Parts: sequence; structure tokens; C-alpha cells
Amino acid sequence: MTVTLIRTVILYLLIIVGLRLLGKHQLGELEPSELVLALIIADLASVPMQDNGIPLLSGVIPILVLLCLDLLLSAAAMGSVKFRALMCGRPSIVVEKGAVVQEELKKNRFTIDELMEELRFKGYTDLSAIEYAILETSGQLSVLPRAEEKPLTAAQFGLTPQETGLPAVLISDGRLLEHNLKARGYEENWLHKQLIDHGVKRVDQVFLLTVDEAGTVYFAPKEGRA
Amino acid sequence: MKQTWIAAAVLILLLAAALWSGLYLAQFTDSLTSTLYQAQGMVEKGSWEDAARVTENAQRRFQDRSFYLHVTLRHNDIDAVETSFREVEQLLSHRERLGEYAAANARLITQLELLAESEHPSLHNIL
Repeated sequence: MTVTLIRTVILYLLIIVGLRLLGKHQLGELEPSELVLALIIADLASVPMQDNGIPLLSGVIPILVLLCLDLLLSAAAMGSVKFRALMCGRPSIVVEKGAVVQEELKKNRFTIDELMEELRFKGYTDLSAIEYAILETSGQLSVLPRAEEKPLTAAQFGLTPQETGLPAVLISDGRLLEHNLKARGYEENWLHKQLIDHGVKRVDQVFLLTVDEAGTVYFAPKEGRA
Repeated sequence: MKQTWIAAAVLILLLAAALWSGLYLAQFTDSLTSTLYQAQGMVEKGSWEDAARVTENAQRRFQDRSFYLHVTLRHNDIDAVETSFREVEQLLSHRERLGEYAAANARLITQLELLAESEHPSLHNIL
């Protein structure tokens, strides 16, 4: 049992490191090759985890080889458009100027029901409102509505609203993130003033405090402590 | 770019280690099987005691590499060789049944040959 436990820990850590090396893709956005890789790695790890008669190396070596191959193939795909198309495929235009491109649907084995379902997910029920719908290599559907269907923007009104930028988290669940505080160019004195302005005295009384590039502060106290 | 070079280096290192391991295993099992053939020759000449000494020596060499063998090969295969070694050792200590000893020794030699053969990067192993 102890052997199984130790083996499981080792293989788990190896898989975590491996998946980190794969990058920041979400599971639903994996390219076909990455999905295959993730499935094979999971399977390879489970065999020596369950069977102590198989050397750990029988699981570790294939996993290492697959990860190295993936890194090499990714590098090759970065360098060559043709190779990238071969590995990941190309996006397919499935709706063009309001009309379904049936040939592309057939090629991608994508039924009209699936297309309509995906469009409804995106908030479109009328095909004629769509300029382009593109089936991405990750399997996601991107929809570009017709110009008259696009939401109005501030620029179209001739307005120039102030950019607020990315909000940085300064306090997360009672912990001060000093790196973010310094990166935003604020001192601890400023932070204490903010806390007092919001009716608290200590950092551990704050659940979330963010500040954007325009200096707008969002404050949420910890429940039952403020 | 650095990651790519590291990946390529790890792959080359793994390939080199795997080839070296296969080669080492083949040489190791070759030396054991030739010792076991030598022991069989001794038994046929009636030198049971010498054969037992030579076989025991082969068994000790096998046990000395137990860690390496367990790390690289299936544990069942290693255990089967270990069992066969003990069987041959017992038959040698009784010094009676040459036929049984020859059969057990042949089985042990085959198991050792198959150990090395399973790691050989041949087409029939790959396919």
C-alpha cells in the first residue's frame, strides 16, 4: 500500500508539472494534439499507479517523451504555418453572410442542430444577423454579427471615455499583495488611508481590495469582521 | 527557444539511456547464460559441486543488480528468474536427477535470454 501511495504522489507531481509545461490552455480549448496528449498522459500514469509489478519508469519515460515531443512540435508549429495547419487544422467558415456553408459543416462533421445550438449559446437565433461564424481549431465557434447588429460603441457616439485599465488586487482574502501595491506605485500609507476611509483598520479585515489604473478602488470587507 | 533545446536534450538523453540499458542488459544476461551453460557442462562431467558454485556465483551477480533490474524491467519477470535460480540451486544440491536439472537450467537460461530480448529495439518488439 505504501508503495502505491508513494508511486501515486510521484506520478501526480509529474503530471502536474507536465500539464503546466503544456501551457495555459483551458481543457475545453485544447487543440486536438493537446487533447490526445492529455488523455494519453492520464492513461500512462494510471497503469503504474495501479500495478506495482510494473516499474515506475514504464510510466515516467513515456510521459517525459510525450511532453518533450509536444514541446518540440509546438516549437515547430510556431516556426511554420504549414506545420501548424497540419498539427492543429485550419478554422472553418461555417456561416458566411447569413448563409450556412454546408460543405464546411459536412467536412467538420458538424450538424446544423449543433451549429444552431452553438449560435443560441452566443445569443443569436437568427442566421441572417450573422456575417461570419467560424469554427475554430479548438472546436469553439466565433461569431461576427452583421454591422447593423453590432452593439453601439462609445467611439460611434464620438465619446472618449477614460481608460480604467486592469484592476490590480492589493488585498486578497485578508492578505496584502505587496508586489501589486508597489507595481501600482502606491505606499502603505495610501493603503491605510483607504482602509480607514472604508471603515476598517487592518488588512485582515478586508476580503478584496482592487485598484485600477485610473485609481478607482473597489473594496469588499470580510463578512462579520468589518 | 530554451525550452525546445531542453526538450531535445531530454529526448536524446532518454534515447541514449534506453539504448545503453538494453546493451548492458544483453551483455549481463549473456554472461549469466554462458556461466549457466558452463555449469551444465560440469554436471554432465559429474562435477556437481563445481556446477553449484558457478551457479551460485551467477545468482549472486543477478541479485547484486536487483535494484537496477526492478527499476527497468517488469517485476514478475525478475521474480520468475529468481525462482528459477532457487530451483536450479536445489536440484544441484541434491545431485541426483540430471534430467530435471537440465530442464530447470534450460528454463532459467531461456528466461534470462527473454529478459534481454524484450529490451532489444528490434522490429518485432516494436510492432
